[in-house]
Amino acid sequence: MISAITTNLPVFIIIAPLFVAFVLPTWAQRKRLVENLVISVEILMLLGTCYLASIVLLQKGIPIIYQMGGWSAPWGIELKVGSLGTFFLLTVAIVSLPVALFARGNLTHEVGGKERVARFYVLYLLLIGALGGMALTNDLFNVYVLVEVATLSCCGLVSARNHPRAAKATFTYLILATLGSCLVMGGIGFIYIVTGHLNMGFASQELGRIWQNNPRVVWMAFSFMLVGFGVKSALFPLHVWLPDAHSVAPSPASAILSGLAVKGYLICLLKVLYNVFGFYLMRVYSVHKIMVLVGMVAIISGSISALTQEDLKRRLAFSTVAQVGYIFLGFGLLNTKGLTGTLFYLASHAVIKSTLFLSAGAMLNATGKKNIKDLSGIGRKMPITTAAFTISSLGLIGIPLFSGFVGKWQLLMGSMETGSILPVSVIISGSVLCAAYLFPVIRIAYFGTAPEKDCKDPNLPQKLALIFLSAAIVFLGVIPGSFLELANRAAAELLVLR
Amino acid sequence: MLSLIIALFSGAVGGLVVAMIPETKNRLRNYIVLFFAASSTFFTWRTAFMVFAGESVRVAGELGGLAFSLDPDPLGAVFGLIASTLWPFTAVYSFGYMAGKHKQRTFFTFFLMSLTMTLGVAFSGNLIALYLFYELLTFATYPLVIHERSAEAMKAGAKYILYSLSGAGAILIAIVLTYAWSGKLDFSGGPILANSLSPGLNWLLVLFVGGFGVKAAIMPLHRWLPAAMVAPTPVSALLHAVAVVYSGVYGVLRTVYSVFGHELIGQLGIRNILPWIAVITILAGIVIAARQDVLKRRLAYQTVSHLSYILLGAFILNEWGLAGAIFHMISYSTLKITLFFCAGIISEKTGEIKVSKMGGIGRSLPKTMVAFSIATMGMIGMLPLNTFWGKYYLMKGSVGAGKWPLAVVLIISGILNAICFVPVIINAFKGECTKTNGEKGGGVSLMLAPTLVLVIVALLIGLMPGIVWPGVEAVVNWFY
Repeated sequence: MISAITTNLPVFIIIAPLFVAFVLPTWAQRKRLVENLVISVEILMLLGTCYLASIVLLQKGIPIIYQMGGWSAPWGIELKVGSLGTFFLLTVAIVSLPVALFARGNLTHEVGGKERVARFYVLYLLLIGALGGMALTNDLFNVYVLVEVATLSCCGLVSARNHPRAAKATFTYLILATLGSCLVMGGIGFIYIVTGHLNMGFASQELGRIWQNNPRVVWMAFSFMLVGFGVKSALFPLHVWLPDAHSVAPSPASAILSGLAVKGYLICLLKVLYNVFGFYLMRVYSVHKIMVLVGMVAIISGSISALTQEDLKRRLAFSTVAQVGYIFLGFGLLNTKGLTGTLFYLASHAVIKSTLFLSAGAMLNATGKKNIKDLSGIGRKMPITTAAFTISSLGLIGIPLFSGFVGKWQLLMGSMETGSILPVSVIISGSVLCAAYLFPVIRIAYFGTAPEKDCKDPNLPQKLALIFLSAAIVFLGVIPGSFLELANRAAAELLVLR
Repeated sequence: MLSLIIALFSGAVGGLVVAMIPETKNRLRNYIVLFFAASSTFFTWRTAFMVFAGESVRVAGELGGLAFSLDPDPLGAVFGLIASTLWPFTAVYSFGYMAGKHKQRTFFTFFLMSLTMTLGVAFSGNLIALYLFYELLTFATYPLVIHERSAEAMKAGAKYILYSLSGAGAILIAIVLTYAWSGKLDFSGGPILANSLSPGLNWLLVLFVGGFGVKAAIMPLHRWLPAAMVAPTPVSALLHAVAVVYSGVYGVLRTVYSVFGHELIGQLGIRNILPWIAVITILAGIVIAARQDVLKRRLAYQTVSHLSYILLGAFILNEWGLAGAIFHMISYSTLKITLFFCAGIISEKTGEIKVSKMGGIGRSLPKTMVAFSIATMGMIGMLPLNTFWGKYYLMKGSVGAGKWPLAVVLIISGILNAICFVPVIINAFKGECTKTNGEKGGGVSLMLAPTLVLVIVALLIGLMPGIVWPGVEAVVNWFY
């Protein structure tokens, strides 16, 4: 029995949240049970992921190939549990557990009655399951299915709060995300037409052999994939849905959306670019230069837009746009250091952004306002929340001792190897701008005049979540150890010549 | 090694302890602050003696996947000594100055934290540690800058953060480039870039000097410093006349000697421009100072000017220049703190901050103004003050490097310092002042004592430069 579970662990990790999501509505009235089930699934997922990660680390990077239903590729769907897969799976598990914990304490306030809370959790678990699948899948059509599941759950999560602008934000997101999905589908279609394969490994082998026969089709596939995933991961200038969606959603949803959902699409894009096309084709079509360029523009424009926002959550949402720019830039670097840095930065940003949104949500809920200047003096009344916000801000800016610096350093090293100093300058300017738009919040919170309203730190589940996430930021910043090693191996795997 | 750790972290631990003491328990807090500041001083002296004796005091490890080391060499030891020795003096002064003022708990918490960050900069053994403590120093000193919480203070704080973080960004780019070109980050084992000669080195030097130059108040990156004078006087005295600005100066010294090495810079095209950058700041700083009516701002611009004496010494690129630079670091700090302390006593007892209104205060505050006068003599560079020796070596180095105009600049600067401050002193001793009843009161003695002791120390060093000469010699011998 145990061996059955361990051999099928990859698929259980993905299916467990989905299964629980399906059965959750039957117990919607029993809130305690619903919450406990969600937390239990998260914990199981974290344990399973740690186990898989340790196996992959011990195997020195040889991936575990799992065939769904026993059908071998190219007929069956393959799950590749390699360094990249476990890296992202760990990120998902580490971030989604505290967010679920936070939601436990927060949802009744933001979302409403028992049934609405249960529906929220259903969508939440569907999203987590889809993200887990995105981490592990090695099949192109599977990617599309998971992307669709994730998109629809995200849309549902965005509309969960009774916000006046919720409907419009969700609708915009839905339209644009569906557009993105169609483009992704188109890209998959082009690859299938040219190679006749949906399995990533086979497709890439075939593509390597016959791309010169259909160069334009391959180029179409590249562009469709880039734009399609670009829309979904809020790459500038396709990001227009993000500020509305993430500021309107309930705080746990914003955390998951900005922290993980966007990253899931980026991981899928990474897999498609490196595992299907391969870096050689990327270089042939100059895709890497485009990505670096667009990434740099995104960093600067996202940061500058963030500076102009008065609404705290919108400011954080634009910050996500800028950070996606970093990751995109890193994808285009085509060297091990750059990819290690971008992967570590991706994971670190997932943790940091979630902490930022959760603490911002707690602060905004306590004061009932939404603008930054209304948070004056809140640092004294809500010390733990503000401390979490400060730690994650320092992490995002890239101060040493926090996880953001580790990722940024590797990114900088990788950018240096491109020979141009421009990416390096843009990355560091982005950090300075990040300080410019985050520091005023900290300053107002700690050094502003005392608030009139009586606010205090949120309840225990929320506090625990914030403490856990802040500790993770510092821990990863000081002892990145095996996590960095996983990212390194993942980067090396991606750059293997196909 | 234990001495190093205790010296370094006394400040931070003390800061955390102070943060937990309630706002009202002033006496207890004062004792605790003094205890931790003094313990840091004691262990820094122990560490420094070990370093001067040639022992290696090294703490190395990995931080965030990057090599990180604390490894003071004589330069770091000298800077550490200056900072940690002056901290208890400023602490005692603050007890008098801050008595009855608001937010003392916040003040002393970050006062002690800044000590750790400054010593971290001093003791850093590689570029990563230097960068880490440099950034943290900005954040630790920010609450001190905005202490008054007035609109002006908040604006000064915003300017401070903006300038500092931009400078830090430039430094980070420079560190990345250094690591990419040389693969080394450690200060031990010779200059990092010793064997790489490439055209980009000029720009790398510009990045480093520009980045560190923000805190070292090189013009035109100096503008945060006069604005930061809105902070309480102990902060202006210690941090913005010694600790923070010296970490910038130290960064430039490290760049010249540990990253590039004086031989490499001697081969770069930019080497001839560097001393003149310092010269511009020296002259322009003191000229602008003469136009300031607010005393603290006048002192701030004088700080800007004198910091570039030290940078000039570094940019001359010979042993006497370095000796002059280190000597000036030691002597200038004692006197500058004295000047600011006097300004603080004046503003506390008379409520005056403008020079034009300070007529006759010398009669009511005689000891203060005597200290001020002696310190001003030092700023001019006259015997028997300690700054004479720094200037002497600087001039010797300039002439030795074939750049005798620089010696002339130093003489002119001395004259300008006189023009700037002697009228203030004369005005202070002319006429009557009815604003105060003199130097009485417990608060004043706490402020006056450190001031007078520092003046005496400066005189002693001036008369017997042999006291500090071993330290200076150790630094020069380390790099030459």
